[in-house]
Amino acid sequence: MTLQTSATAPSIPRAVIGVIVNNALVLALITVFAIFSLASPTFLTIANLQSILVNNFTLLAIVAIAMTFAVSVGGIDLSVGTAVDFASFAFVSLVLAGQPVAVAALAGLGAGAAVGAFNAVLISGIGISPFLATLGTLFIGRSIQQLLTNGGNPVYLPPSGIPEAFRFLGRGAIAGIPVPLILAAITILGATVILTRARFGRVALAIGIQTSVVRYSGIAARAHVAVAFILAGLIAAVAGLILSATVTVYIPSSGSAFLLNAIGATFIGTTLSRLGRPNIPGTVLGVLLLGIVANGLLLTGLNFYWQQVGTGLLIFAVLALSFITRRKASA
Amino acid sequence: MSVDIQLAPVIHFEPGAQSFKPSRGGNLAASALRAGSLLAFVAILFVFSLTAPYFLSVGNIGNVLGQSAISGILAIGLTVVLIAGGSNVVTGGIDLSLAANMGLSAAVYATTVQLGYGDAAAVAAALVTGFLIGVVNAAAVVGAGIVPLLATLAVMNIVAGLELVLTQNTVIPASTPLLTALSSSGPLGIPALAYVLLVFTLIAAAIVQYTPAGLRLYAVGEFPDAARAAGLPVRRLVASAFIASGLCGGFAGVLSVSNLSGSTTGSGEMLLPVVVTALLGSVFSRRLVPTVIGTLLSTLFVGFLVNGFQLLNISSVLVSGVQGLLILLVVSATTLLRRQEA
Repeated sequence: MTLQTSATAPSIPRAVIGVIVNNALVLALITVFAIFSLASPTFLTIANLQSILVNNFTLLAIVAIAMTFAVSVGGIDLSVGTAVDFASFAFVSLVLAGQPVAVAALAGLGAGAAVGAFNAVLISGIGISPFLATLGTLFIGRSIQQLLTNGGNPVYLPPSGIPEAFRFLGRGAIAGIPVPLILAAITILGATVILTRARFGRVALAIGIQTSVVRYSGIAARAHVAVAFILAGLIAAVAGLILSATVTVYIPSSGSAFLLNAIGATFIGTTLSRLGRPNIPGTVLGVLLLGIVANGLLLTGLNFYWQQVGTGLLIFAVLALSFITRRKASA
Repeated sequence: MSVDIQLAPVIHFEPGAQSFKPSRGGNLAASALRAGSLLAFVAILFVFSLTAPYFLSVGNIGNVLGQSAISGILAIGLTVVLIAGGSNVVTGGIDLSLAANMGLSAAVYATTVQLGYGDAAAVAAALVTGFLIGVVNAAAVVGAGIVPLLATLAVMNIVAGLELVLTQNTVIPASTPLLTALSSSGPLGIPALAYVLLVFTLIAAAIVQYTPAGLRLYAVGEFPDAARAAGLPVRRLVASAFIASGLCGGFAGVLSVSNLSGSTTGSGEMLLPVVVTALLGSVFSRRLVPTVIGTLLSTLFVGFLVNGFQLLNISSVLVSGVQGLLILLVVSATTLLRRQEA
């Protein structure tokens, strides 16, 4: 069936299809953006666009970048939420115990990296598939958090005992730009440099495409996979710090809320990119797409429950359209 | 072709006989692991029965079976998708919409009952719901060519949203003769749900393990290119696996209403435990592939663990941790044995 259409199709639409396939994600973003701009007068205001970035973008972008590192070596990290939670727990508990914010923040990053290191041992050391290894970590992490909090009680910071630096991290701004957004931007830039400019990134992507070739070229593939998972834990920990600094509380297992959206954004970015490889710009655009859809549907005044249906339908439509055009183009 | 020949003599309930006669060196490790995991199963039952005398009573075993019915049926649905989709979870077979499917089907069932329809109509409505979700998944994966992980993730969001729209995030109570029958006890004082699970498993195992269509599912999942070259309708088989999984979700939805005497929210919580159960199931099979009986055993394994913890008054907080450790132990053992074998 596909053969026939491609044989009879004139060459110009074919070129058009090629353009669509190569820029699927950007086109999807523009379309969704245009639709919401027309549907709601408040969508295209500075205040709202800023709200998208702060509320719908920052945290998910960081977690999705963590996920992208795991996906770049051909894996997946179901425990990114666990790293978010562990970082948040260490951060809030130490600040509550009166430790300096910098020390607490470092401990938080360390806790996230430790989750990543645990995954690295399972995946690179024992050789368990990343999906199962990180699934195990997710379950164990859930139990550990409940044990640490007497069955799942949140850890609150008393409003009077919040250090200035802690508040600044969550709600502060430099030159009018919210600190969390700046941290997200730094993470995006850093991750882009690591994945595209550093040798590590090239090896990581090569492992994701063809592990055996990398191994035969005498490169320590396992060590690179291990580093990718530790980086994933570390980056997710940044989101954990921002999350707890924003809400000034640690709620056990709250990080798991990011998991499915992070997977969605990363794989949307991967599959809709030109080469079909994990890449930071793709992930970021994927997060933006999810954020714009969530914000736009909110503005349309649709019932809250219908918003979830709408989000699902829109993502589904984007995926279906891009996969179908891609198939047409390659046929 | 050799695929079918290897797969045909899968015999499930003779672990001893199998493990003592390894026909090839490669089978030794697999048999050892399979025997090992069955041994671990028996050992856990033994320890619990020593420490909690009530544990091995007929009543308690029936309870565990009954409580495992819903997750077991969902896990069997997922097993069918795993078989047809292959072992790679990211690009291969996975159905993330199963738990949400169960939630929506339960809500549809309860709503239909609330509207004054009888059991037959309500069950039909729930099954049609599950079926339609399966059709959408199948169309997305086979028709549009979306990776199953992404396709079923999007469908999961849609379905979970529809459940919220239908229930407005509240409990919809329902009580019908069918629900009363399902939540009552059958012969030997064992919950009716336990019998439902056993009968369902036997039927599913008969279809998946012993019919030509079932064996073709394995061929499609393990060697898609070979299956295509052999002229198997690969697309149709994969599509039907997703539809079967959707139907399992609908059926589990009806059962969940009986369990909680109404449709309740929070079905999404079931997703990861069900994924774990289905993936663990392959350890209980001779060739370490997903099988229906293997999935039943792994469901019961988890069920007995949770139940034993409750009887021993061990905090329920540990349950998810032990489940996690279990996955890691079992999977590390599998991986290490496979490595030796290679």
